[in-house]
Amino acid sequence: MADVLTEIVQPDDLKKFEKIYHEQLYKNDVTPKAQFEYAWCLVRSKYPTDIQKGIILLEELYKTHEEGQRDYLYFLAIGNARLKQYTKALNYVRSFLVIEPGNQQVITLQQTIKKRMEKEGLVGMAMAGGVVLAVGAIVGVGMAIASKVKS
Amino acid sequence: MSAGPYNYSYIFKYIIIGDMGVGKSCLLHQFTEKKFMADCPHTIGVEFGTRIIEVSGQKIKLQIWDTAGQERFRAVTRSYYRGAAGALMVYDITRRSTYNHLSSWLTDTRNLTNPSTVIFLIGNKCDLEGQRDVTYEEASKFAEENGLMFVEASARQMGNRGDNVEEAFLETAKKIYQSIQDGRLDLNAAESGVQHKPSQPGRNNLSADQQASKDNCAC
Repeated sequence: MADVLTEIVQPDDLKKFEKIYHEQLYKNDVTPKAQFEYAWCLVRSKYPTDIQKGIILLEELYKTHEEGQRDYLYFLAIGNARLKQYTKALNYVRSFLVIEPGNQQVITLQQTIKKRMEKEGLVGMAMAGGVVLAVGAIVGVGMAIASKVKS
Repeated sequence: MSAGPYNYSYIFKYIIIGDMGVGKSCLLHQFTEKKFMADCPHTIGVEFGTRIIEVSGQKIKLQIWDTAGQERFRAVTRSYYRGAAGALMVYDITRRSTYNHLSSWLTDTRNLTNPSTVIFLIGNKCDLEGQRDVTYEEASKFAEENGLMFVEASARQMGNRGDNVEEAFLETAKKIYQSIQDGRLDLNAAESGVQHKPSQPGRNNLSADQQASKDNCAC
């Protein structure tokens, strides 16, 4: 199901903005616009290595291009959340909300991230439960074999 | 399958487009939360909202992508047009420039969506009658000439009840549903913007994993 943390960039879109960025990179003249558009596509990729690359580009923009800092913080939160680096993602959200406390879009993102953490927490517990059952089964089989050997 | 409150038979994808500051996010917020957002900062990139509605006894989930109006986002937000079943195109009745730019928004919409996409024109902020800069008649004529549905609306209205906001979202859904019934909209086309999720087993030949994916949906 689609939301800001799960929707996937179209591969041809990613390629389009990658091409522009690389052409500028080749001329050693990358505009913040081209870098941002490419990074925005990268953090929506299904491949973690792309997302990681997008995060690096956004971090660089954040340091060098003051005008767009608000946007970069938001997408840094999204990129990190998509990589399941939730603590980092929530830190970006928090720094944003320090500057703009009432921003509904960012509050919604914060809720979406927290909801996802909760959901994955439950999944994690369910998996741990499965492991306990499996270990139980192995011990059980082991005991059965041991008792057979004894008899 | 149980007919729980979160069951729905269709998903429709919507986009909301238009100039910066016309109130796109406020319309979305009014529709999904039934509240007026007084302090509405500029959207970053895109915002997402959902609501389940009912048309002709069918539950339909609307997945709404609200795009940022600022120029610096426009190149990338264009990719969200793809596969939209409905497009809400918004201008501000108190700012003529937002109306003048409609043809550019319409061109983008026509180029990036498919012929069956329903386009609904919304003249927002109709509560600010004293500052009106675009007449109803003029916009209505523009809508008619271009085959668009049209309404003037206000996300802010007395008692926090948005005026004509529900109507715009619901009428769009009705028109899409009608296209499905008439067979004008092909559900199997990849970019129709509509997904069918039959609630009666055996009525449709959906595979088991598609059913399962619905069951896994938490929203």
